[in-house]
Amino acid sequence: MLSNPIGKTKPQKAAAHAQAPAQAQARAAGSKVKALRNHTVLSRIGSKSRWIGLIYRIFVYVILIDLAFVFLYPFIYMMTTSLKQPVDLMNFTIKWIPTSLAWENFYYGMKGLQFLTHFNNSALIAVLSVVGQVLSCSFIAYGFARIKFPGREVLFVLCMFTMIIPPQTIIVPLFMQYKTMGWLDSVLPLIVPSFFGNGLRGALFIFIFRQLFRGLPWELEDAARVDGCGSFRVYWKIIMPLTPPAIVVTTLLSLVWHWNDFFEPSIYLTSEEKFTLPMMLPRLYQSLDTLTGSTFEVFSLPVVMAATFFALFPMLLVYLFLQRYFIQGVERSGLVE
Amino acid sequence: MRGQKMSLERKKMMAGYVYIAPWAIGFALFMLYPLVYSLWLSFHEVAGVGNFELTSVGWGNFNKAFVLDTKFIPLFISVIQDAVINTPLILVFSLFISILLNHNIRGRAFFRAAFFLPVLIGSGLAMQQLLYAGVGKDTLVNGIGVPDEVFLYMGPTFSQIVFDMLSRLTVIFWKTGVQILLFLAGLQGISVSLYESARCDGATEWEMFWKITLPLMTPIILLNLVYTCVDSFTDINNRMMVYIKDTAFTNIEMGYASSMGWIYFLFIFLLLVLVFVSTRRLIIYTGEK
Repeated sequence: MLSNPIGKTKPQKAAAHAQAPAQAQARAAGSKVKALRNHTVLSRIGSKSRWIGLIYRIFVYVILIDLAFVFLYPFIYMMTTSLKQPVDLMNFTIKWIPTSLAWENFYYGMKGLQFLTHFNNSALIAVLSVVGQVLSCSFIAYGFARIKFPGREVLFVLCMFTMIIPPQTIIVPLFMQYKTMGWLDSVLPLIVPSFFGNGLRGALFIFIFRQLFRGLPWELEDAARVDGCGSFRVYWKIIMPLTPPAIVVTTLLSLVWHWNDFFEPSIYLTSEEKFTLPMMLPRLYQSLDTLTGSTFEVFSLPVVMAATFFALFPMLLVYLFLQRYFIQGVERSGLVE
Repeated sequence: MRGQKMSLERKKMMAGYVYIAPWAIGFALFMLYPLVYSLWLSFHEVAGVGNFELTSVGWGNFNKAFVLDTKFIPLFISVIQDAVINTPLILVFSLFISILLNHNIRGRAFFRAAFFLPVLIGSGLAMQQLLYAGVGKDTLVNGIGVPDEVFLYMGPTFSQIVFDMLSRLTVIFWKTGVQILLFLAGLQGISVSLYESARCDGATEWEMFWKITLPLMTPIILLNLVYTCVDSFTDINNRMMVYIKDTAFTNIEMGYASSMGWIYFLFIFLLLVLVFVSTRRLIIYTGEK
């Protein structure tokens, strides 16, 4: 019985005590008992750590769900509030679920934004900027990542340096410059810099592409070159198809940032019919008043929320489709070496 | 000396310049020229937007910013204060969430998607509308489910402080989307074998965090630190940015706005240089020998 202490349990331990008459035996048994005790302590810790593990997991879920709620709150709030009637808004017993759904808020929200016109403006600016940034930033990054030439490092540092220049530092000369060029009140100042790798946070996208390009094997490129491929074809036919992660990341971030950008459009665009969708939000009441021909105090928070929803809706839709690729993309884009 | 090989090398070099050309042109047109011109403007006064008549005022604009303008310095300090308080919070919080998300948990895709959502609202006008509506104020209180009784018990002054802190935290939380993703990418990049061998040596989770995770994350922490700084300084809701814009386009004091822009830019530049210099020894790169 004592010969194999491993795996024994408490009653057997008691038995070990009883079956030790001689001192030597007792000592031997004592050490075995110690071993046994150690073992049981260990297994107890083992089961304890399983408990701790379980509690820890529950803790992780509770925190994540709680925080996810905090992060989703603006959307939940936007959605529920946009469906409320003014009466429900005043009613403190109603927190989330309105007594009756006020779909007309969405109608007014859309009308107030003049959704179609301004959606088209926003889409034109955002989509062209994104195309410009993906093309130009990947092209430039290819040069920085894959071709050695004198002054490359210096130029790259200079390029990264542009990231920290606040837009307000150069806005005045840019405004004057565009004025002399006759670009004011057109979409050109918002789109053209993107095609030169200089749009909104262009340096960041050059950085992302460069990181990914640097990690690609050189053999691919060498093989293509031996087969007589020029460097432009290598970039377009071999490197670009290998970089969907960076393309997705750049596309989504660039789209969202251009879409939400308010600073530059509000300076360069002056006539209302050229405004982007977010620019219409502060003008909502004014716009509704002129449309309906009277002052509407009735259009309160729910209508504003409905309009805000419409201003964000296209981005939500795009994110819904790109979300999976986007998060994988960030993980694989070699952003982090 | 004009052998075949030389010209091939040279050809390749030229190709490099061709790739950089769009950026160089864009940089000269939309960055370098405006930057130099704004420096020039900052020493002048612009009379009239129509014909841009410049009169030199020497250091007058800078003098005005630091000595005469009663708004500039307090605004500047409050902006710096915000950045100093918010940046560490954003970093710690996003690292915390990304470690939680890196667990093998159910619904990971949902959580990752959820934590990035506020980035979609951005810091733009949509967010402003939501903040006007008071969304920021009670979110966290509702989120962690603090019962009203607790606030009642704390008394009005103290509960107000806690309430303000929580609402401030909420808005900070919403700025962490990009950082969480970057940290997640970094965490995925740490080799599992490191943790396995540490576990064999009897390391606890706690020790592994301090000895493995944190040191290996230092490059991403630096990246996030720089990103967070730049993001907070160029945020549209940043009061400094609003002030400069108003000075330039509402008060039409373009020279003065330029000089404020330059003060602001130099400050950010020095701050980042300081960050890089002070963290140089702390950053651990695994890729380099």
